[in-house]
Amino acid sequence: MFITDIRKEFYEVVANQRVALLVASDIDALCACKILQALFHCDQIQYTLVPVTGWQDLGTAFLEHKEQFRFFVLINCGANVDLLEMLQPDDDSVFFICDTHRPVDVVNVYNDTQIKLLIKQDDDLGVPSYDDIFRDEEEEEGGDSGNESDEGSEPSGKRRRFDEGAVERRIERQRARREWEARRREILFDYEQYEYHGTSAAMVFFELAWVMTKDTKDMLWWAIIGLTDQWVHDKITNMKYVTDIATMQRHVSRHNHRNEDEENSLSIDCMRISFEYDLRLTLYQHWSMYESICNSCYTSCHFKLWTLNGQKKLQEFLADMGLPLKQVRQKFNSMDMSIKENLRDVIEESSNKYGMKDIRIQTFGVHFGFKNRFLAGDMVHAATALLESTEKDESDSDNFIKALDSLSRSNLERLHSGIDLAKKKLIAIQQTVASCICTNLILSQGPFLYCYLMEGTPDVKLFSKPMTLTLLCKYLLKAFVQSTRNKRCKLLPLIMAAPKDMEKGTVIVVGIPPESETSDKKNFFGRAFEKAAESTSSRTLHDHFDTSIIELKMEDRSKFLDALITLLS
Amino acid sequence: MPTKNVTEERLSKFKNKGKDPTKLRDKRITECVELRKAHKDENFLKRRHITLSSLPDEEALSPDYLSNDLVKFLSIEEIIKLVNSDSRESQTRGCQAARKLLSQERNPPLKEIIDAGLLSRFVSFLSMDDEPTLQFEAAWALTNIASGTSWHTQQVVEHGAVPAFISLLASPMLHISEQAVWALGNIAGDGSAYRDVLIECNVIPALLARICPDTPVGYLRNLTWTLSNLCRNKNPFPPLSAVLQMLPSLIQLLHLSDKDILSDACWAISYLTDGDNDRIDVVVKTGIVPRLVELMSHAELGVLTPALRSIGNIVSGSDLQTQTVIDAGVLNALPKLMRYPKASVQKEAVWALSNIAAGPCKQIQQLITCGLLPPLVDRLKNGDFKTQREAVWAVTNFTSGGTVEQVVHLVQCGALEAIINLLQVKDAKVLLVLLDAINNIFMAAEKLGETDKLSLLVEELGGLDRIEMLQSHDNETVYQAAHKLIEKYFGDGELDGVKVEASDDAFVFQSPDVTRTFSF
Repeated sequence: MFITDIRKEFYEVVANQRVALLVASDIDALCACKILQALFHCDQIQYTLVPVTGWQDLGTAFLEHKEQFRFFVLINCGANVDLLEMLQPDDDSVFFICDTHRPVDVVNVYNDTQIKLLIKQDDDLGVPSYDDIFRDEEEEEGGDSGNESDEGSEPSGKRRRFDEGAVERRIERQRARREWEARRREILFDYEQYEYHGTSAAMVFFELAWVMTKDTKDMLWWAIIGLTDQWVHDKITNMKYVTDIATMQRHVSRHNHRNEDEENSLSIDCMRISFEYDLRLTLYQHWSMYESICNSCYTSCHFKLWTLNGQKKLQEFLADMGLPLKQVRQKFNSMDMSIKENLRDVIEESSNKYGMKDIRIQTFGVHFGFKNRFLAGDMVHAATALLESTEKDESDSDNFIKALDSLSRSNLERLHSGIDLAKKKLIAIQQTVASCICTNLILSQGPFLYCYLMEGTPDVKLFSKPMTLTLLCKYLLKAFVQSTRNKRCKLLPLIMAAPKDMEKGTVIVVGIPPESETSDKKNFFGRAFEKAAESTSSRTLHDHFDTSIIELKMEDRSKFLDALITLLS
Repeated sequence: MPTKNVTEERLSKFKNKGKDPTKLRDKRITECVELRKAHKDENFLKRRHITLSSLPDEEALSPDYLSNDLVKFLSIEEIIKLVNSDSRESQTRGCQAARKLLSQERNPPLKEIIDAGLLSRFVSFLSMDDEPTLQFEAAWALTNIASGTSWHTQQVVEHGAVPAFISLLASPMLHISEQAVWALGNIAGDGSAYRDVLIECNVIPALLARICPDTPVGYLRNLTWTLSNLCRNKNPFPPLSAVLQMLPSLIQLLHLSDKDILSDACWAISYLTDGDNDRIDVVVKTGIVPRLVELMSHAELGVLTPALRSIGNIVSGSDLQTQTVIDAGVLNALPKLMRYPKASVQKEAVWALSNIAAGPCKQIQQLITCGLLPPLVDRLKNGDFKTQREAVWAVTNFTSGGTVEQVVHLVQCGALEAIINLLQVKDAKVLLVLLDAINNIFMAAEKLGETDKLSLLVEELGGLDRIEMLQSHDNETVYQAAHKLIEKYFGDGELDGVKVEASDDAFVFQSPDVTRTFSF
């Protein structure tokens, strides 16, 4: 069931209890987790934190903790399957689910005892009404005798003889039931067809902190990062992003206002959050302008930097801005103050000239003391890079802890190491995009585009990770749409596959919806993957919380694709 | 050699190598029976959908029927008054009103009618041959009362309805006779006790006398169902003499084409075969097995289910009985049923297969020849849990009774991988059976001297990890079985440590022996 009063029905229930926090591997989940941890610290609530990367992980984590814990908080996982069916918990386990995955499984919505959904109801949920999808069994069986027992089951020992009229009524009722069932299937099909995301989990928990007047600037910043994660990883529509940004902005001004009279007491380690109308250039404050322009999706796709012509255009653009190349290529930190002062305006002006009307984006920045300034988007990139680091053979939970650490302002070193990783990752993505486009690796399969990264492609290990591969997928599709002349292809979704585990001979497969300004970001590949796997009995693993990300045996790739083509044509 | 004793003891304890296939099958049967009983009890609570009577419609059959509107919604008091009056016409009206109440779908007032003391009147109406309408209405009302709980049925019987209904069977009016058949079916369906009361009253000859070439199909449907109830229930079974009386007619019915008749007749056979080998023998001797096998491929689920159940029962009998079924071609019918869309059918089919796999190696060879291993492995991998459970039994039976070559063939078909995958189930019983199968396969490998190769294969398939995990299973027996496997086939010097850890007396006692096996 949906919880309406998150404070009463969630927080006050778990206070004084031991809680197991099961947290998925994405930045929004980490931020939500940080906020909740801060609240728990504040109220001395004991908890155990368990990172979970997929359904199997979640199952194991539950098994390991079900004896000690009654209350489970699931962050960004669990809403989109019938959780009780999957975990088979005892009757007294209670699950609080704060998950952005949509659609929420109807059983979760209508279970009143064990499933508590911490999900904002003003999100466009469209849950089918109870009466449309559930029927009280008693109504079917209890009242009238002569229940239509399953054909093929043992006959009953006794039978009553009914009125002729009763027989007709029964037939009529059966017909009505069949119709109802057909309608139910249709409703559920419509409801479950697309996968998409709702309000950030971090924002939900921030709101909890706020209604309890326990919100701090740190929490606010985490909520902002959570929201920004949804934007960076393209999970929500532009509309939703702008609306939620406005919400966060109100909180930011409230907090800033609160400190106004203490202006003079600002210490060196204080924290200031500010609304910015900043550039869509990734990590430029921690890089050089030039590298940032080259490796940001927006600019790189716009100039088509993988072409000679594109490189030329970039030079023209830099010249147009009137910035000396030397300044542009050196570290942003070392750029002349005079240039930096109105840099954003200069860039915006030239960008407009070059057709990049949206070079600016509403976002937030943070100052830690006087020296360190970070943009929310850059934090997301840094934390993601840590979370999916492939540098050393570290376990998922090590990476999880590191990424979590990088979000605390006490751990700027970790954050900087994340920024370095993020740069490497972005460069790898740009290079892969360029080589895929230049060597025509993107094939039109009819109903969708398909691109397969071969084993041996540079940085292929990086792309065995779901978020990195998804990001590559999005950048690649944007680049492709810019570069292709085929109008039909511009409207197609993209499926990418990359080697996952050489030993097991598996690939990771990701599907994303078509690229467009007005995209609703709804993804139908989850259902399609399931169906295709089923019909070909391909050996697939649907373990990721996003149903549009699966693992597949290498050998089954072609039959799986064929089935997908037939299915979607 | 002490080693041998221990091994043998272990084998005969929870594995079939110590063999005696009959024992093995028995075990399976009781288990199934328990399940089935539970299922049946469930079914008792429900009531089956109505099969329409053969009677085309009530008006046509009883021309002197009172119009419906006149009798609708009379109160119990009014009914009592009418039924107890002296006028035939009033009695008929009252009886019909009662029947109407008892025939409505929701909350029929069974108890109210009984408490009103109307049953003795109704039973007395049954013998009024000169008042067919009244007879019919009373028979219908009593039928419906007998369809209730055991207590309801008991009231009907105790008011002397049994002899009255049996004489009514001979009524020249077909619809009245049919109603009597139906009522007797309800009484027989109550349980062994009333079933035998009916048999004592010679219900069977009276029923069988009504089967003739021009009996309408609807009548035959009711009659077949009543016969099936007379075959039904155990503890005790129906008397053998009664079974022998009914069988020829049942066989005759099994050769008709109406699906409802076939379904009930097959259920009757399934009840008769759900017993010890002597009971099965009676059925097999009639020569009906080929027809049953044929019906396993019937298009109607309602027919193939009981046919499959009957065949499954028969193959749980002796090797000879099983051979009759194999000779009738069951192995060609099973693969399709193992892939049937309905999981319960798959389960029954694999259950039958598991019992054939418990036979001598000649029969196992027939399984292989007829290509049953691929579908079996497929069910092992993809079946629902109940089906998988039966498939696991099939593999364990196969590996315990099969020759080395046969076991090797099974492994080559992918059964080992499937079994290893199943080691993560929670059910302790299934785990034990799985571990048994693995042990059996190892013993086959031992005979070939390829234990090491198999150990490697099991490890590669992730089996070692899973078996190791099972050493921490809550269930003591599972832990021991897993532990022994590890120790015997994967151990390397860890033994001492293990011995210290073990707290169980029996285990400490046994481990030195196993050590010796290992050093061989």
